[in-house]
Formats: sequence, C-alpha cells, structure tokens
Amino acid sequence: MTGGTVSGTVPSGRPRLRLEARDQPGLLTHLAVSLLLLVAALFLAGIVMTVAGGNPLDVYRSMFGAGFGSKWGLNDTLVKMVPLTLASLGVALAFRMKMWNIGAEGQLLMGALAASGVALFAVPPDMPQWLALALLAAAGAAGGAVWGIVPGWLRAQFGVNEIISTLMLNYVALSIVQFFVYGPWGERGFGLTPMFERNTWLPRLTEFADQWSALRGLTLHLGILAVPVAIVCLAILLNRTKFGFEIAMVGDNPDAARYAGVRLRRTMIIVMALSGALAGLAGMNEVSGVVHRLLEHISPGYGYTAIIVAWLGRFNPLAVAVVAFLFGGLIVGADEIQSAGISSLLQGVILFVMVSGNLLIRYRIRLRVPETLA
Amino acid sequence: MLRRLAVLASILLLAALLAACVLPDPSTYPEEMPTEVEEQPTLTTPDIVEGMFNVAFVYVGPIGDGGWTYAHNDGRVYLEENLDNVNTAYLESVPEGADAERVIRSLARKGFDLIYTTSFGYMDPTAIVAEEFPDQAFVHVSGLKKNDHNFANLFGSMESAKYLAGMVAGARAAEDGSNRVGYVAPFPIPEIVRLGNAMTMGMRRTCPECVMDVRWIFSWFDPEGEREAAVSMIDAGATVIITGADTAIPVQVAGEMGFTGVPGNSANACDAAPEACLGVPYWNWGPTYVEIAQAVMDGTFEPDDYYLGVPDSIVGFAGFMEGEVPQPAVPDWVIPEVDDVLQQMRNGEFTRFDMFTGPIHDNAGNLVVPEGESLTQSDLEGIDDELGALLGRPGCTYCMGWLAEGFVADAQVPQ
Amino acid sequence: MVEMRGISKRFPGVLANDRVDLDVASGSIHALLGENGAGKSTLMHILSGLYRPDSGTMKVEDRAVSFASPLHAIRAGVGMVHQHFMLVETQTVAENVVLGDRRLGFRMDPSAIRDTVADLGRESGLEIDPDALIWQLSVGERQRVEIVKMLHRGARLLILDEPTAVLTPPEADTLFDRMRGMARAGRTLLFISHKLNEVMELAETVTVMRQGRVVDTVPKAQVSHRELVRMMVGSPVLFDVTVPPVQQGRKLLSLRSLRVENDRGQTAVDNLSLELRQREILGVAGVAGNGQRELAEAITGLRKLQAGTIELDGFDVTGSNQRRMIDLGISWVPQDRQHTGTAPNLSIQENFDLKRYRSARRGPFLDRAGQSSRAAALLAKYRVAASGRLQPVRLLSGGNLQKIILARELSTELRVLVAESPTRGLDVGAIQTVHELLMEQRSRGVAILLLSEDLQEVLSLSDRVAVIHNGRIMGILPRARAEADTIGMLMAGVVPEDMAT
Repeated sequence: MTGGTVSGTVPSGRPRLRLEARDQPGLLTHLAVSLLLLVAALFLAGIVMTVAGGNPLDVYRSMFGAGFGSKWGLNDTLVKMVPLTLASLGVALAFRMKMWNIGAEGQLLMGALAASGVALFAVPPDMPQWLALALLAAAGAAGGAVWGIVPGWLRAQFGVNEIISTLMLNYVALSIVQFFVYGPWGERGFGLTPMFERNTWLPRLTEFADQWSALRGLTLHLGILAVPVAIVCLAILLNRTKFGFEIAMVGDNPDAARYAGVRLRRTMIIVMALSGALAGLAGMNEVSGVVHRLLEHISPGYGYTAIIVAWLGRFNPLAVAVVAFLFGGLIVGADEIQSAGISSLLQGVILFVMVSGNLLIRYRIRLRVPETLA
Repeated sequence: MLRRLAVLASILLLAALLAACVLPDPSTYPEEMPTEVEEQPTLTTPDIVEGMFNVAFVYVGPIGDGGWTYAHNDGRVYLEENLDNVNTAYLESVPEGADAERVIRSLARKGFDLIYTTSFGYMDPTAIVAEEFPDQAFVHVSGLKKNDHNFANLFGSMESAKYLAGMVAGARAAEDGSNRVGYVAPFPIPEIVRLGNAMTMGMRRTCPECVMDVRWIFSWFDPEGEREAAVSMIDAGATVIITGADTAIPVQVAGEMGFTGVPGNSANACDAAPEACLGVPYWNWGPTYVEIAQAVMDGTFEPDDYYLGVPDSIVGFAGFMEGEVPQPAVPDWVIPEVDDVLQQMRNGEFTRFDMFTGPIHDNAGNLVVPEGESLTQSDLEGIDDELGALLGRPGCTYCMGWLAEGFVADAQVPQ
Repeated sequence: MVEMRGISKRFPGVLANDRVDLDVASGSIHALLGENGAGKSTLMHILSGLYRPDSGTMKVEDRAVSFASPLHAIRAGVGMVHQHFMLVETQTVAENVVLGDRRLGFRMDPSAIRDTVADLGRESGLEIDPDALIWQLSVGERQRVEIVKMLHRGARLLILDEPTAVLTPPEADTLFDRMRGMARAGRTLLFISHKLNEVMELAETVTVMRQGRVVDTVPKAQVSHRELVRMMVGSPVLFDVTVPPVQQGRKLLSLRSLRVENDRGQTAVDNLSLELRQREILGVAGVAGNGQRELAEAITGLRKLQAGTIELDGFDVTGSNQRRMIDLGISWVPQDRQHTGTAPNLSIQENFDLKRYRSARRGPFLDRAGQSSRAAALLAKYRVAASGRLQPVRLLSGGNLQKIILARELSTELRVLVAESPTRGLDVGAIQTVHELLMEQRSRGVAILLLSEDLQEVLSLSDRVAVIHNGRIMGILPRARAEADTIGMLMAGVVPEDMAT
C-alpha cells in the first residue's frame, strides 16, 4: 500500500498503543487475523442475541446445521453461492483497478431482465436446451455489461465518480425491472412474468435422479458450473494475460500505466463491462436456474452482499468464492431463525468487525512505553 | 506474531463460551414469566416435535406489523390454543421470490404436516414444493392455485366487511357534510378493486350523495406513501379515509387533521387512533386454521378454492361484533342499519354475490352488470378465460376491473 | 522576530533539515530561496507548527517556543499560507476567515464578523467582499482570503509558500505591492521561492538553502543574480565522466515551435524549438518548474500540443499518443520515479515489463517465462540490490528504483531517450552508474535529451547545453562555451551582455 503511515511519533510521557506496519502480510497472517475477527464478530453478535433473549450457541448450531449440516443445507447454500460468487467476482475484478463497482445489484437485475426477455420472446419451445441456455447466458452477460459500461464510460470520459453512478444505476435498473414485470411482461399486475418454457431452465440435480437416486430433491442447478469456470477464467485473465497486466498497472498506479502506454479509458470501460457481465450472468442464473421467471424481487440484495463478499475475499477470485460459499450458508442458516433479522444483524456485525479489524492485517499493535517510564 | 494471535483468539473464544454458559438460558423463561400471547421464545429454529401435529406458517412481514401478518399470527396462536397436540412454528419477513421457495421447501423437509403460506407471492413456490412433498398439506392464503391432493388456497369475503365499513364511512361523511370518502388503494388488482367497489356500494347505501376518491400507492406497506395518499385526499375534500394498505397511519393522519377513518386487517387496529376510528374490517383466521388443521389430522382434507364468508367468521367488522360497542365517531342513526346488514350476512342472506347483483353502473355511468345478473366467483376475482383455463375454472364475464358508481368520475384503474 | 538554531528534521531516508539556523528581522521581507527539495518547506512547516523538529530550538519575539500544532504557532503570532488553499468553497469569505478560530464562542454574530473582516481587508490593502462565496473567487482572491484569515488570527509573522506559483503575472504584481504594504505596517513576511526574479524584486534579505542546509543569508542589496545562482546550484565541480568523442549522426528529433499548457491551462512551454542528433546529449538546464516536465510529457506523447510539430527521424509524429511514441522508440526516464515511473506494489519483474509486455508474441497472453528470464538478466546486468525479481519495487531504495527504470528504458530498441533529472537523490556510486549508462547509449547512437536542475550534471554530460526559463529556450551553448556563470544567468532569465547579440 502506498498510503500514509498510521504511526506517528508521540513524544509524550504516557504509554500508548501504537500501530506498526507489517512489511508484507503473509497468507498465514491473513488467515489467522480473518479467523480471529470472525470469532470476535460471532462473539459480539452473540452478546446482542443474549440480550434479545436467545441462546447464541443454540442459534449458531442450528444455523450451521441449516447451512452446512445436511445435503439439503449444502444444496441450498450452493444455490445461494452461485449468484453471490458471480457478482462478487465482478466487484473484485473492478476493484483490481481500484474501481468501486457498487452497481452489481443493478447489473444483476439488468442481466436477469435481458435473459428473461430472451426466454420469453426469442426462444421457441422446440429450441434445443443447450442453445436456449447459451442465448440466455449471452443475453444476461450483455445486459449486465451495458449496465457496467455506462458508469465506466462516464468515469473514463468525464471523471464521474463510479461509486455514485453505479449506485444510482441500481435504482434505475430496479425501476426498469418493475416497469417490465408490472407492465408489458407482467402477468396480471402481480410483479411477475409468466413461467419460462422448460427448455430455458438450467437443469437441476434432481432431474438426474433416475440415474443417481441420491440427487432426488436437490434443487442445485447446473449454473454452479459457472462458478469454477468464472474463477479460472478470471484468475487467468488477471494473472496471465496482457490485459490483466494492464488492469494491475492501472490499479496500482494509473500514472505509471499511462506512462507505459496503457489506454486508460478503454481499459476502464472494458473492465466495467466485464464486471457488469459477471453480475448479469448471476441474474441469468437466478431467472433460469431458480425461479424460472422474472419477478420484482429477483434479487434479495445479492449485488450489495457481493461487495462485502469481494472485500472479505480480498478481491482474490478463489478466496471470493470461498467467502461466497460461507456467506451463502450464513444467509441460508439465518433464514431458518425466527424471528427474522438475525441474518442482517450477523452480516452487519461481521462486516463491521472485519472492516475495523482490517488494519490488524497491515499493522501490528504494540504497547509503547516511553523510556522515562520503562 | 502468529503465536500471539492464537493466544488472543483462544482468549476471545473462551470469553464467548463463558458468556454463553454463565448467562441464563432463556428457554427457561416461559415457566417463570407470565406471557400472554408471546409464548415462543425469540430466536429459535422452527422445528417439528415428534408425536405432535406440526404446523408451520410463512409470513411476508414481521409479526409486529399490526396488520396482515399480525392477524395471521393471531390465528396461529389461536390454533395452538384451541386444538390439542398441535405444535406451531413460523418464519417471518420471508421475501417473495427465490428465497420463499427455498424456505418453504426446507420446512417441508423438516416434516411439518401442514404449511400455511400467507402472501400472494408465495403462490407458485408453494405449488412447486407441494408437488415435491405429496404427503404433507399446503394451504396458500390469498392465491388462486390448488392441486388435487395436498394443496389448497384460502381466502375470505373481506368485501362483506368492507361493505359495512363503507356504510359507516358514508354515514360519517354525510354527517360531516363533506359527502366525500377517500380510499388508500395498494395495487390495481382485482382484489383491491373488488374491495373498493364493495365499500363504495356500502357508502352509497347510507349516503346516496357521497363520492369515493382513490389513490393508488403501488405498495402493501409504505408508511410515507400511505400518509401522502391520505393527506392528498383530505386536501381534496374527503373527511373519511378507508385504507386498504397495511398500517393505520392514514387513520392517524385523518385524526390529527380532525377527521376519521377506517383501518384494516387486524381486529385491534383501532387502538392506533381510537378517537378517529370508525371500526375495522378485519381478518379472523383462527377458526379456519383450526378447521383445516383438524381436517388434515383426520385425513378428510380436500384441496379446494376455499373462499369463506361472514358465516364462517373469517372476516369481521370490529365495533359491531358480539359484545362490542361501536366507536364513538360512528353516527348513532346508522348503527341499527349496520347491525341489520351484518345479521343478514351472518344468516347468509346477503352474500358477496347478492352485493354484486345488477344493475351496477360504473363511475362513468355505463351499465356494467345488467339487471338480474349476479357476478360469479371468477368475475369477482377477475379470472379471465386464459387464467381460468390454467386454473380449471370458468373465465369471467364481468371481470373485476371497473370502478362502481360512486367513485369520483375521473377515478380509474391504472394499467 | 524569529530565531531558529540548529534545527534538524529527518524523514525516512532523507535529512530534510540539517542543523539549520535562521534569523528573521522584524518588519522585513525575507526570502527563502532554494531548489526543489532543498528543505525550505520543511523548515517553514516546523516554524508554523505543522512538524516538530528532531532537534534545535526556536525563539519567536525573543521567547522560546515549541509548537505542537499550527494553533500554538498562530497564538505566538506565526501564520502560514500554504500553496494549496484550505478554504471551504461553499462558504463566504467572512465565514472562512473565522472558521476554526477558537476565540469565537459558540454563538456568532455574523454582521460583526463581516465588519471585522472588511476592516481587516481595508487596513492591509487586501480588499475583499466578506459576503462573496469562495468558489466564486479567482485564485488570487482566494489567496487574499487566506492571508486575511491569518491576519485575523493575529499573525505578526506571515509565511507564504511559493505565493506566486498559482498566480498570473498581474496578480503576482498586486500581491507584491500588498506584501510591501504589510511590511511597512510592521508585519514580518517570510516567503519561499525558487524564482530568482521575484526574490530580487521583493526581498530585503535572502536565505539560500541547498540540500537541507543554509548556504548563506545575505542582504539583497549586496548580492547579484549570479551569486545567488551559484549559491543555489552549488559550485559546479564537474563529475568525472569520460565523454568519448563521437561523430554525431543525422537529425533524429526536431521540435518546432512547441506550445504546451500545464495542468492549470497556463502556457508552460512557449514557442520552443530544439533539434537532437544521433549520438548527442543535449542538456536542458533550468530551475525546476520552468516547463521541463511539460516538455518531456509533450515529447513522449503524454501531453497534448497546443501548437508546433514533432518530427522523429524525418517523420511527422505530431499528436501521437504515448503508446505509439513508445513503439517508435522514444524512451523516457521520468523525474517522478515513484508516481510516474513505476507501479510500486508490482514486482521488479513486472516493472521491468511495464511497456514491453505488449510485444510478446503470444496473442492475449503474457510471456511469463520470458518475463522472468529477462528480469533475472537485467537484475544482474544493472546490479540492482534486491531480494529477488518478485520483490515489490516500493521496497527499493531510490537508486535501485532508478536502475529499474533505466534498465527498462534502455533495454528496448530506443532511438531517443528523454531523461529527467536521472540522478536526483542518488548516491555517488549510483550517479556514476547512471552517467556511464547514458554515455553507453550515446555511443550506440541514441539521441538523449537530458533535462536536469543539476548544473554539474548537465555540464559534465552534455554535448550542447540549452537553458530553459519560463518555457522558453534562453540560449544554446556548445559544451566548450558552456560555463556555469553564464548558464546560471540564463537560468535566472537574464541574458548576459556578452550573449545579447
């Protein structure tokens, strides 16, 4: 990091806590600190739950059971993980060049909208399923990409802050989706479109129960395959390609990138397009793999959770996927708790603790006792 | 450094464990602390109890919403109290959409014998999960779909209660001299149009000169939108506000401005503004929940489109039920007439079909339903031929999409 | 008024102030003159309470002081106007003037404040409308607000950090008038500058700093332009560089009538023409901030030309972007190693490949294997002291960082090298290496444009020396005729009589 140091010389007589920069925090430090922070977060949330009249250990046990404890729980967690991972990877990609894409939610919605449009109007019922799904995926990615290009272009051309523009576009996207599901595509004003034809559904595991009976009842859809594919592609893009190198340069020092002949605007726009496309793909997965129609509430805030997930995964594709899996389980588990609100409480506390504890990774705390006292 | 971190981590973990052990286990509370309605300890996972009949409820809002979900939760408590060997559980604030299906499926997997889902948006998720778990029963409230073995839908003739509300509101507006009532309407869907028409017809019964204003807020729950709608109609001259949305805020607003109103959904909704409240058309799910649960236990449950009426007690009009006294703001002269109509409803002499019998004109003066014709259930629910074919019901002829005579002339159902 | 004794301040890797003594007489206008990085700003930040010195003592008006913050300094009567103004754009002048003034209670009386501010403006000759909103004001007016702010807080000593840097010439003239007025009214003014002309015009006493030390303090009346230049740049002890005689080749780079603007839209390079041949080092001497940076950026394609043409080896390349200029063989060692020349968190290996990665013939993919073998070779050839080729470059010392940049820029098929202050901040050994590398490139046929504030370096290396002042070339001298005194005069914008033909 190139930021200023937190430590300052304080020539006073009192002993003080002092932050000391670590040179290069290693993987183990990362893991250890993250684990410590998670425990601290669970502890804090546990205090709140105890005050609210619950037993946190019970709650955690049943949450864990619900999210990871059975094949059903794992199934539900993996279903959640798909949109979370894809959207988070998009956010992480943009952040690799220090762009805050707060707009994953809107990009996801636009992806869902575009995929739904194709499913409802462009795919005849007799089209082969693979072709229909490919069309839906392409539409979803394109829909999200457009919603990424707009703020990317505004930033590149006019220096419009992408945090604000992407955030605003989320609301625009929601309004557009509302317009379509209540209006021209809507079924009777209830905020949903008709069901898609079967050939636009991503196959679920339970459909293969004839061959493998263990799969019966599992709703996990083949969109899960997009997760490893996206991770590998993104890792290759970032680490092995010329374009990925340009992203790294721009992210680290835009002046140096310009100096090295990187076309900054072009890079920004393409990265935002790819970032949006990943979120759009998440939207396609939701309509095609989970609900099979477009509805107003297609996303329970995946795009926003994705920011947290990407951040906690430190913008590393594989780590992001791991965090997305854990978060999926957290959401699934917390949804099983009555009364509601535990999920958001936990997410909030975890985020708060992780963000404030982040500096433990870059700094170590030392108690500094002035020599006069020591 | 790592060692130090590990030490820190274990200290924190120990502290967490200690706290969890030392602090009293809240599951012991209910025995010592007398609680009236809230028997459920907070923060529990809904689960079945072996050997009991297990019923789960999926709510769209929080149980403390004082409206739609509150009324359902009252019904749940009633079920547990009035049927032996029943264990109930609920999940609140479950978003409509993909999460609903997952949550319902998870409850089914746990083995709940009967699952009530209480929002229109749960219709398809419930239908899908019901197919996957044929040995358990599913009842979807406010929907249209059913199957032939384990999935029913349930609703009630709220229009009857709204009709009574319209009668009281009309009388009050006549008394105020404004001859104008306002309707805070959530969505332009057949249900809301039907309820609006019912209250307008009731209003015209007691005040033939009165007109009904309307504001569509496109939300079930939007405190600010509900307030604005009420204020806007009061500004336009209305002195009585009837709300179809979740909160009692429109009534409170009317009260603050010196006028009156009619909230909805739960029997105690008048408590929010007793002075300004004229009564509540409310849901009373308890008896029906008991009846259905009993049928499932007995193995006599038959999936159907359950649409119950006043004789089944599924709806009521608070202030005029047995042993109740009308709210102070209700004009005395209208009370006997309301009692009378309510009695006819109870006796099955004045049903929703009697209410919606021609001639009925719309607010532009066109004849919608000719003399002698009555609306059918499909007409009332606005089920057109296409949807009817899907549901196995006849399509509608006089489909609920028009505003009855008595609505202000420029009011219309938005597209 | 002020007495500083033995002030030292060390930043990581730099001794910014080395036992500095400074005396400022009451009611005088005192200039602090020196090149960039001479330690002027650090010293003034210490005097105004922003930094604390590592050692040394200060007296203000004969009282020993130790400032923990600018607040303490202003209480002692010392106020500083920074180059970057600290004003709230959406508030009025009066509000800004009283902003943060602890003497005000919780309640404010707006009209009284307005009157006070207006009075203060009139007294000091800095008339300003107290009700104007800051964003409506010009840069010169904002500066006035800053000054009035300091006066309002009771500053008797006013420190101005390069006050004319942001001003137009007429604005600067006005400011000088006001400064003289304030001095007559008994206030003391201390201003930082590296512009000789304004120092000669305005100051009564001049303190010259170089490399963290005070060279001398002299009354202006007793010193000439030429002497000040000599103090600023030091005695031109030439480096020990062998400049092998070579036959200069064909014309490689021609700049014709270039006009370039700086980031603020002011003309930074004005009607500038230069020619550069194969096997030639053309040194451009000048005080920092006279258009060198803009010139380098214009040649390398990073900055837009307002007018003029650039020819490379006979082809018009005017208007080409950075990417094309790189491909055409224009290498560039930028002055700002950390912020322009390298990506600090990327590895040494990646920084070597900052430009070259594009030419790998692997479609969209990077040539990682080639990258690491090249990196290994370059590390060895340039003797970079690093723990390995994967070390992030931010952990490198300045000298090693410069080696990385040179290794990268010189390992391509280059035709023209633009080198900006290539040895700034390096130790003697590293300087020697850099000079040898430049000579080696010269022998290989590269045309080198050497932009440097370091007169010694320019004189030691260059075949010809051009002097830049205010974005214009004041004169071009062949190596044989390039003498430090003459060049110093030209750098100060003064054409010596023997050249004025």
